[in-house]
Amino acid sequence: MIPRFDAGDRVLVLDLGKSGHVRTPFYVRRHSGVVLHRCGAFLNPEDLAIGNVAGPVVPLYRVGFAMTDLWKDYRGLPADMLCIELYDHWLNPVEAAVRAD
Amino acid sequence: MSDQEHTHDHAHSHDHAHDGHEPLVVEDEAGNIEGQILVDALQTLLVERGLVFPGEVRREIERIEAPGVHLGAKIVARAWVDDDFRTRLLADGKSAVAELGIGVGEAQLIVVANDADTHNFVCCTLCSCYPRSILGQPPAWYISKAYRARAVREPRAVLEEFGLVLPDGVRVLVHDSNADMRYLVLPQRPKGSEGLGEDQLAGLITRDCMIGVSVVGPVA
Amino acid sequence: MTRGYHDIGGNAAGAIPIVELPWLQWEKQVEAIRNLLGDGTRRMMSLDELRRGFESFGEDKYKKLSFYRRRIEAMIDVLIEKEVFTREELDAAIADARARWETPVPCQP
Repeated sequence: MIPRFDAGDRVLVLDLGKSGHVRTPFYVRRHSGVVLHRCGAFLNPEDLAIGNVAGPVVPLYRVGFAMTDLWKDYRGLPADMLCIELYDHWLNPVEAAVRAD
Repeated sequence: MSDQEHTHDHAHSHDHAHDGHEPLVVEDEAGNIEGQILVDALQTLLVERGLVFPGEVRREIERIEAPGVHLGAKIVARAWVDDDFRTRLLADGKSAVAELGIGVGEAQLIVVANDADTHNFVCCTLCSCYPRSILGQPPAWYISKAYRARAVREPRAVLEEFGLVLPDGVRVLVHDSNADMRYLVLPQRPKGSEGLGEDQLAGLITRDCMIGVSVVGPVA
Repeated sequence: MTRGYHDIGGNAAGAIPIVELPWLQWEKQVEAIRNLLGDGTRRMMSLDELRRGFESFGEDKYKKLSFYRRRIEAMIDVLIEKEVFTREELDAAIADARARWETPVPCQP
């Protein structure tokens, strides 16, 4: 799978509603952040969790989120950031129109 | 912790005001004996089935006991005295630490550097991922529910509980170690350490500085 | 509801219990066996399979077990699921281990 995103891209975290083992915590779902860098490609933990090692591999990114965006009552600086790793299939591109707000 | 306390903790799991401390779930003496019996039984079955050889568990324990804070400290001290190494370390942690003979078993190592404007710290909200091959086992508080829950939401309050108040204007970057990367904080080299050699510098560096809940204090 | 009980990032919680505890023998054994089962020669259990184990064995159990107890209970569940051994075989091995533990061994002069 070719990575769809690169550093600087704005992405929205999907809430895929998957049951079972996933590595996308609830608190970042439906929030948008910025790709910090590509981490490479890895076997999907959702497959590994059920013993499937046949692949395919999935691109992984580190994504940064403004703390003030994650938590409405956040107490700290506007520049404070949360950095987390997210797999490609949990992300959508954020369009320029959305970027404006 | 007794069974009675277990029940108590559970009943009050959302009531965090009653003693101000989120209970850390640890086994009491009976629980530790039960854990020992359980793991001995498992080991016996695995040896019987030829899946694990006798002696292999002992050897693996020796292997996982070997890494510790001294490895992380060595990495940081080298980065303080060697700018080229520092650059390589920040670009590709795993390859750079391999130059020091340190093997990272985890997928990849991301080293995040503190500076005058930025303070980094590391947690794992989903389980307790930790760079075991360079820092050893995580401390008990790192795997506690309170740390896992709060680090990503109120990092400054958490740091204050560790006695760390950041100077005005310093931004916080929290790293939730949730997938295939592991994180090491590269603390700032302290004032007054200019004349120190690499080994002396390594002696200043604590585990907590490399998790990011502390900083390296000035050298007297 | 796709938020697991282990997915606690951002929840309210009390003060951090800033304590240091020793790493016990049985806990080391749990970690060592986990590593061996997941290593390049065995590939019997990935870390994600282990996590799936304790993320699905029930919230009450998760909350009352310590970190390493969660891991060994999950490991056992996954191995039984993979038919490496049965629950009955494990129970018998536990009974043997308990008997060894509880039988006092006289000191040799």
